[in-house]
Amino acid sequence: MLKIENLQASYGKIQALRDISFELNEGEIMSIIGANGAGKSTLMKCIIGLQRPDGGSVIYRGRPMGKSTYKTVQNGIVLVPEGRWIFPALTVEENLKLGAYIVKSPDEGLKRSFRMFPKLEERKKQRAGTLSGGEQQMLAIARGLMANPKLIMLDEPSLGLAPLIINDIMNIIKEINQQGVTVLMVEQNAKKALGIAHQACVMEQGRIVKRGSAAQLAQDESVIAAYLGGNKGGTTDHG
Amino acid sequence: MFIQQLITGLSIGSVYALMAVGYSLIYSLLNFTNFAHSVCVMVGAYVSYFFLLLVADNILAAALCSLVVAGVLSAIIEKVAYQPLLDKNVNRIYLLIAGLGIQIVGENLVIVLLDGRFHAYPTTFSSIPIKLFGISIGLIDLIILGVSSLALVLVELLIRKTKTGLAIRGAASDLNTTALMGVPVRRLITIVFLLAGLLAGLAGSFTGLKYTAYPSIGSLTTKAFISAVFGGLGSIPGAVIGAFFLGVSETMIAAYVSSSLRDMFSFVLLVVVLVIRPTGLMGKATEEKA
Ligand SMILES: Nc1ncnc2c1ncn2[C@@H]1O[C@H](COP(=O)(O)OP(=O)(O)OP(=O)(O)O)[C@@H](O)[C@H]1O
Ligand SMILES: [Mg+2]
Repeated sequence: MLKIENLQASYGKIQALRDISFELNEGEIMSIIGANGAGKSTLMKCIIGLQRPDGGSVIYRGRPMGKSTYKTVQNGIVLVPEGRWIFPALTVEENLKLGAYIVKSPDEGLKRSFRMFPKLEERKKQRAGTLSGGEQQMLAIARGLMANPKLIMLDEPSLGLAPLIINDIMNIIKEINQQGVTVLMVEQNAKKALGIAHQACVMEQGRIVKRGSAAQLAQDESVIAAYLGGNKGGTTDHG
Repeated sequence: MFIQQLITGLSIGSVYALMAVGYSLIYSLLNFTNFAHSVCVMVGAYVSYFFLLLVADNILAAALCSLVVAGVLSAIIEKVAYQPLLDKNVNRIYLLIAGLGIQIVGENLVIVLLDGRFHAYPTTFSSIPIKLFGISIGLIDLIILGVSSLALVLVELLIRKTKTGLAIRGAASDLNTTALMGVPVRRLITIVFLLAGLLAGLAGSFTGLKYTAYPSIGSLTTKAFISAVFGGLGSIPGAVIGAFFLGVSETMIAAYVSSSLRDMFSFVLLVVVLVIRPTGLMGKATEEKA
């Protein structure tokens, strides 16, 4: 469905992506794990068109991707960015409606969002800036789904959330995937991310250093040492 | 007497509001002050003058004509002058300089191509007073106040009730996030310039009707700019409130204190606002920007 070939990107002199290549199959969940600064967010920004790559290509359903973000969204790819980026001054409902900008009517999407996240319905007239962190994350995911994407990219959906809420979010991501949406997810919480994914990649310093099925990577010695056994995810997580 | 002054003040305020909303709209999206705005006001004033002179003695048709021409001009300025700079992601100061350049060139172009004189609108209309509850009120003040208010209400409806308006409000918070929603942000920016230009053209037509058309007529946008700052740059209701406040205060000061103090009042107000409350009455605080 999505094929990344030799993708490179940089910020001035800082090389953020070096020769990234991988392929994402329709209907699957792929998780990308990696330390801070590995280039995960940059990768997603390149795919959605917020950042211009220096080289390489992004091929979506056999066609090279256009340059502008709004066209990428119209083609069915959506990014739920790191740090949520909700519209704080708009109400919850307005945030969702803006998410449905490319869709004729937001009604169906609103119904679905409120079914998935009943909290959002209670708060729909409230300014989004007043929501709690977890609620904002729910809003960001729900807003991403409003465009009826074929592929949804989630950049650290569990960032700053309590373990119980992380479980909820992971279940929602599985549910979204079961409804036929392909998922590309970046996560610090490697245990959770590998738990629900089909495929996974490990990124280090702008490169993909490991790739395979999620089950495989979860068994991999070096992955366990770096991302599962250490002080991230695993030990602090009771879920 | 007081009622008369009040109507005059409100009518001046409504024209300031037309211009101030344009400043605020553009500022809310791009965080810079569009100095080329005054060119649209000036062109609006001249278009109405020539319409009345050459086509027909109908001030509303003339105003409509000004509105369209200035709107298109504003969109062209954005496409030709600002968009290449925005593409290069330059510092905002370059946008300000480009805008100032357009303002200077525009004004001088009129002097070169036409002349530097004052052109009173060739219409019989402006002198007609009407009697309302025993007070005589200038009909032109009432028309200006009425049409401007209508235009402001329409803009407010556009912003509050339409999909494009929702996108504009989103873009005021963050352009990239708005692009992530599938909004063609480039086109949205052009639409906002068009909208600001439409209002500026209308304002120009009314200003010309009241004060005649002349090359530096666009400098009245300074008052609109002060209104927008007073109300809080980037806030549309703030701009409208600020504009009416300024229009009424100026008129009252000119009538009851001294007309030479009128302009000083605006600038003192600007300084006071910048010192005491730089975000203005309803300005978007930085925390609003996610
Ligand atoms: N706007 C920017 N300007 C300059 N350098 C940047 C910018 N954004 C990212 N970088 C650099 O590019 C590299 C990759 O950043 P990126 O945000 O993609 O990492 P990440 O894997 O998402 O990290 P995290 O897990 O902390 O979110 C980092 O070294 C970062 O410092
Ligand atoms: Mg990141």
